[in-house]
Amino acid sequence: MNIQEYISSGILEAYALGDVTPAERADVEQVLLQYPEVKQEFDKVEKTMETLVRKSAIAAPVWVKEKIMAKVSLSQPEANIVPIRKLYTPVWRYATAASIAIALLTSYLAYDYRSRWIEKEIAFNELNAKNQKIAEDYNVVNEKLDKIQGDLSIMESTAFRKIVLKGTANDLTALASVYWNESTREVYISVQNLKRISRENQFQLWAIVDGKPVDAGVFDGGFAGLLKMKNISGAAAFAVTVEPRGGKESPTLSTMQVIGALPREKS
Amino acid sequence: MAEEVLQDVFLKIWDKVESYDPAKGKLFTWMLNLTRNQAIDKTRSKEISKSRKTDDLDNLVNQIDNAEHAELFVDSIGLKEVLDRLPESQRFVVEFLYLKGYSQSELAKEFDIPLGTVKTRLRLGMIELRSILNTP
Repeated sequence: MNIQEYISSGILEAYALGDVTPAERADVEQVLLQYPEVKQEFDKVEKTMETLVRKSAIAAPVWVKEKIMAKVSLSQPEANIVPIRKLYTPVWRYATAASIAIALLTSYLAYDYRSRWIEKEIAFNELNAKNQKIAEDYNVVNEKLDKIQGDLSIMESTAFRKIVLKGTANDLTALASVYWNESTREVYISVQNLKRISRENQFQLWAIVDGKPVDAGVFDGGFAGLLKMKNISGAAAFAVTVEPRGGKESPTLSTMQVIGALPREKS
Repeated sequence: MAEEVLQDVFLKIWDKVESYDPAKGKLFTWMLNLTRNQAIDKTRSKEISKSRKTDDLDNLVNQIDNAEHAELFVDSIGLKEVLDRLPESQRFVVEFLYLKGYSQSELAKEFDIPLGTVKTRLRLGMIELRSILNTP
């Protein structure tokens, strides 16, 4: 069959208008199924016809719709609705469309939730780290506070005697204090001003008991508050010298930094 | 009368929609042909012919034309402009077949044009309209 000849015969236009004999109709329908080119052309014919006819459309009076709707709703019980649905939009199409929509939506939500989850996880880890740091800081502060409270209770306590150790000729500005509880023999030292010394050396506290120096422990500079030293009994004076790290058995008098005697007790 | 036809057509579409086959053409075409047939049937029917006092189909078509034509063209000036851009021979065929409800054979017979010529002119006119109306 010559397709071009068939198309240009005008049979498609006639068919579109329903202006064909039953035999011609059957023939055209057969050709449309068989030749996609003819079907393509027929689509164009229909489109042109539709556009032309729409241009000639007249708006119907409103009451016509009301009348029609009234008649339709009267005849509705007899109307077979199911096949109409089948014809235009089969239920499975809705189902497919719905499931595709749901799948797309679900994928999007999954993606969205995953990225949000990752975001939150990062934020959570950050917060956790901050929290830990705060807890650590709190512990440090708490320890410091405990120490200060402890130091304060010692300084304020009447059981402790405060001995001020003043600078010697080595360093006149040097100054330190010793808190000594005669009954419990506890000794604490606090440094107000001692010169910096090398890491090989340490300060050593001495107590003068019965005229002889007794080792009361070594310490490094640069601490705050009170530092507990060795227990001492019967001290008449305290002094600090600079000794090699770890201390010595007897003081090097030439390195004495500070010295202070107990005030004579009123008897 | 047009309202009556419109009502009948809608009810007919409602009843017959099951018989529409998408493989045989667009829904619009199906509805158009249904409407066209209903309108022609109505004008041919006895109640009309009594009132018109004639059985001559051609006259009936002309009467439809006389009754609705003015309204038609007042409502859609665009259509007249479109048709005026067609060559006269094609415009004639398109107008009679699409707007005046003639069949091809009626047109051929009444105006003494070979049926093949009617078909070809319609074909050429529709191709022309395709570009005028800018449909793909």
